[in-house]
Amino acid sequence: MSSITLENIGKSYGRGIPAAIGNLSMEIGKSEFLCLLGPSGCGKTTTLRMIAGLEHPTDGRILVDGKPIVSVPEGIFTVPEKRNMGLVFQNYALWPHMTIRQNVEFGLKLRKIATAECDATVDRVMTKLGIAKYANRYPAQLSGGQQQRVALARMLALNPSIILLDEPLSNLDAKLRLEMRAELKRIHAEAGSTIVFVTHDQWEAMTLATTIAVMSEGELQQVGTPDDIYERPANRFVAEFVGSLPINIIEMHAEQSSPLLGWLNTLLAHFGLSGAPVASAGIRPEAVRLGALADDQAAQCAAGRAAIVDVVPTGGSWIVELDVDGSRFFAIATENPRRAAGEIIHFWVERQHLHLFDQEKKRVAL
Amino acid sequence: MRVNSADPTLLLGLLLLAVFAYLILAPVVLLLADAITVHFADVARSKQPLGEFTFYYLRRVLFSPISRDLFWWPLANTAIISAAAIIIAFLVGAPIGWLLSRTDLIGKKWFSTALLVPYMLPSWTFALAWLTLFKNRTTGGLPSWMETFGFTPPDWFAYGALPIALILALHYAPFVILLFGNALKQFDTQLEDAARSLGARPTVVARKIILPLMLPALVSAATLIFAKCLGDFGVAYVLGVPVGFDVLATSLFRAISTSQAGASAVLAGVIVVIGTISVIIDMRLLKEAKRFVTIGSKGAMVRQTPLGKWQVPAVVWAFAMFAISAGIPLIALALTTVMRVPGSFNLDNFTFDYWIGTDLGTTALRQGILLTGEFWLALWNTVWMVGLAATGAGVLGLLVGYSVVRSPVRFVSVGLRQITFLPYLVPGIAFAAAYLSMFAVARPPLPALYGTPFILVLAILADQMPFASRAGISSMMQLGRDPEEAGQIVGAGWFRRMRSIVLPIQRGALVSAILLPFISGIKGLSLVVVLAVPGTDLLTTYAIRLVDYGYSQAANAVVLMLCVVAFTGTMVVQKIGKSNLSDGIGAK
Repeated sequence: MSSITLENIGKSYGRGIPAAIGNLSMEIGKSEFLCLLGPSGCGKTTTLRMIAGLEHPTDGRILVDGKPIVSVPEGIFTVPEKRNMGLVFQNYALWPHMTIRQNVEFGLKLRKIATAECDATVDRVMTKLGIAKYANRYPAQLSGGQQQRVALARMLALNPSIILLDEPLSNLDAKLRLEMRAELKRIHAEAGSTIVFVTHDQWEAMTLATTIAVMSEGELQQVGTPDDIYERPANRFVAEFVGSLPINIIEMHAEQSSPLLGWLNTLLAHFGLSGAPVASAGIRPEAVRLGALADDQAAQCAAGRAAIVDVVPTGGSWIVELDVDGSRFFAIATENPRRAAGEIIHFWVERQHLHLFDQEKKRVAL
Repeated sequence: MRVNSADPTLLLGLLLLAVFAYLILAPVVLLLADAITVHFADVARSKQPLGEFTFYYLRRVLFSPISRDLFWWPLANTAIISAAAIIIAFLVGAPIGWLLSRTDLIGKKWFSTALLVPYMLPSWTFALAWLTLFKNRTTGGLPSWMETFGFTPPDWFAYGALPIALILALHYAPFVILLFGNALKQFDTQLEDAARSLGARPTVVARKIILPLMLPALVSAATLIFAKCLGDFGVAYVLGVPVGFDVLATSLFRAISTSQAGASAVLAGVIVVIGTISVIIDMRLLKEAKRFVTIGSKGAMVRQTPLGKWQVPAVVWAFAMFAISAGIPLIALALTTVMRVPGSFNLDNFTFDYWIGTDLGTTALRQGILLTGEFWLALWNTVWMVGLAATGAGVLGLLVGYSVVRSPVRFVSVGLRQITFLPYLVPGIAFAAAYLSMFAVARPPLPALYGTPFILVLAILADQMPFASRAGISSMMQLGRDPEEAGQIVGAGWFRRMRSIVLPIQRGALVSAILLPFISGIKGLSLVVVLAVPGTDLLTTYAIRLVDYGYSQAANAVVLMLCVVAFTGTMVVQKIGKSNLSDGIGAK
C-alpha cells in the first residue's frame, strides 16, 4: 500500500529528438488499480519502466509515499533491485534455465529468507495461482497462461506493495483473459496493493482498472474512472481512442453545409446549445437510436433521416451503416433492425450522449 | 547520459575496449607502422636515422631488383592459384550443392557430412597426401607411391601451381556447397513458376531469375575462398617452396624468418589490404543477399527434382568427389605411416615402427611417434594453449556481446564490435607478423613474449575473436533484456544477475563459442608457424618441422592424429550445439 507521485517527468533520447515523454505529472493513490492506456508509442511503457527503475527519466521526480526514488534535479536514483516493486513483463521473462519453483523462490533466496519460511511462502503463492503441480517443470514446458501465472507468482512471492504489469492480458486467449482478469482483481482486493499496468487495449483497461490514465505522444490526456473516460472524454483524442467502434465525428466548420450538419444544428438548438463554442461533435455508434417515427415524434426528439447502406451482424449486436445524403454515419443496434439496404430510417440521440469539442478539441461542458 | 555507478556494464565495456586495443589494434597498427619506419638493421642502407618515416621498404618490396622474386611473382602466383581454386571449387561444389539441396539424391544426409570433411581438416594435410602420392626425385626424401609403382610424375604435376590450386579448391569447395546449397534451399521455386507461367523458356528463367538471385551467394563464396587462399600458408609451403614456387604467404614467411622486419611488414600490409578489400566486397554482397532472402522466405516452396535415371551416375559422381577430396588422401596418408617404402604392398614392407618402434636406424627420431616425447609435448601444448585461447576467446566473446548489447554509451559498442572484427580482415600469417612486431620486445604491461607459449595463446585468442564476439553478440541479442531486468526487479545485483541468470542461460552458447574456436585453432598453421619455437611446438608446427626434416611417415602420423582430433571435435560440436559448420563459415 503505497502511493506513487510523478512530478514533471520527462524522457528524451538525445538532443534534436522530440521528447518521448514531456512533463508528465500524476498522483497514484494507495491501493489504486491504475491503467496507463494509449496507442503504441505513446510513452506508457516507458513511464512504467521509469517507475520500475529500468529507464532513467531525464527530467522530474518520482516519489513513493512522499519519498523520492528518482529525482533528476537532486541526482537521486534508486536502482531497480532496491525498489521492492513487483513487475510482470509482457512476455513474462521467466528464466528458462530454472524450474518453476526456482523461478518463484529466486527473490526470496536473494533476501536470505529462512528455508522453512521461504518454502511456505512459495507453496502458498503457487497453490493460490494453481501452478503448484508444475513446480519442477521448466518454463518451456508450460502454456502461455501457465507461464503468466508463474510470472505473477514470482512477483507475488515477495509481497510487493507496488505491482507493475506490462500488458497483462494481451498474450492470452479470450477464455484465459477472463480468468486472469478475475485473478488480478482478486489479488488487488486481497492484498490491497497499488497496481499500475499499461495496455493499448481498452477492453483490458475498462475491465481491470479503477482509474484510467489515457496517454498520447508522451502526454497525459485524461485521468478518470472507466465510466468517466467513456462517458465524459476530456478531448477528441480520448473520445476517438476509447470505444470499440470509432465514435462518429461531425466537424462543425466544414466548408459546405451538409444535411448531417444541418441535423446537428437542429439537435443543438433542440437541446438549447446553439450558442456553445462547438467545433466538432462526437456521437458513439452505440448511443445512436434507430427507428421508424411519425413526423411529430421525429420532431420531438430532433431525429434525422438516413438511408441504410449495410447491416453487419456481429453476434448479439448489429452494426448499421447509414448514409445521410453522402455522409457516412455508424450506429450499433442491440436488436436486429431487420431492414434491407436502401430503406429510410430515423436516427436520434439523447442529450447526455452528445459530446461536443471546441476549437482546441477540448470537451465543451454542457 | 547518466550512468548508474552500481552497474559495471560501462566499466566492463571500457575494460574490454582497452584489452582488445592492446591485443588486436596495437599489433596491426604497429605492423603498418613498421612498413614505413626505418629499422635498426637498415639505418646504413636507407641512409636515414632510426625510426624515421621512410619509403625505403615500400620501394625495396615493390620497385627494386629483388621485388620481382619478393613480391611480384608471389603476387601473380597467389592470383593465379586463387583464381584457379575458385573456378575449380565452383565446378565441383555448385553441382554438389544443387544435388544436396534440390534433388532426391540417395544418401543425401551422409553426403552432406562426408563432402564437408575436407574443410574440417587442415588444408595442408592434403598437400602432404599429394606429396606422398605424387612427388618425384626433384626433391629428396622417401619415394612417392607413383615412383614405387614405376611412374615418374613430371614436376608441373608434382609441385607448384597445379596441385596447390587443386588442393585449395577441394579444401574450400565446401564453402560453395554450403553457401550455394543454402541459397538454393531458400530460393522459392514459385519464382521460377511465375516466370514460366508468363511464358519464359527455361534458359530465360535461368538467366533472368535464378542467376541474379543466386549471384550474391556465388560471389560471396568466391571472395571468401579468395580471402582464405590469400592467407593459406601450409599448402604452398609444402608443395611450392621446395621447387621455388612462392605465394605472398610463403614470401612473407621467408622475409620474417630472414629477419627482414621492414619488408615483411610491407608484405603483410599488402595482404591485409587485399584481404580487407575482399571481405568488404563480401559483406556488401551478403547484405544484398539478405535483401533477397526476405522476399523469398515468405511461403517459400522448394521443389525436389527427381533424378530418375540420373540417380546412379549422380551418386557415383558424388562418391567419386568424396573419394578424391577426402577418402584417397586420408587412406594414402594412413597407409604410408605403416609402410617402410611408400606404395609398396609387400607384406614385409608393413610395419608399426613409425608409431611404436624403438631403435630405428635414423639420425634423430629413433623411436615411433607415440614413444616420442616431443610429440606428446606438442599434443599437450596444442591442448592447453589452444584450449586456453579458445576458452578465453569464448568467455571474452560473451562479455563483448554483453557489453555491445547493453552498453549505455554508443562508442563503446561500436568500438568493441569493430576492433574484435579486425582480425577477420587480417589473414593468419599477416596477423602473426603483426604479433611479432608487437611482442618481440617488451610492451608494458607485458614483457617480451617471443619464444614463450603466451604469444601463441594471445595470438590464437585474438585471431578467434571475430567469431567469438559475433557469437556472443548474437546470443546476447537473442536473450534480450527481459530475463536480466526480471532479476533486477526481484532484487538481484549486477554480479548476482551475471552469475545466476545471464551466464547459466548462455551456457550452451558459451560451449560452442569455446569449441568452435578450439577446432579452428588446433588445425590452424598460418598463424602459429612463425610464432612457435621448438619448445612451444603445437601439433601443426611439429608436423611441419618433421616435414622439413624429411620424416614423412612420422609427419603423416602426426597429421593423422590432428585430423582425428579436428574431425571428432567438429562432430561433437555439431551434436551438442545447434551450431553447424555453415555457421562458422560466414564468420571465420
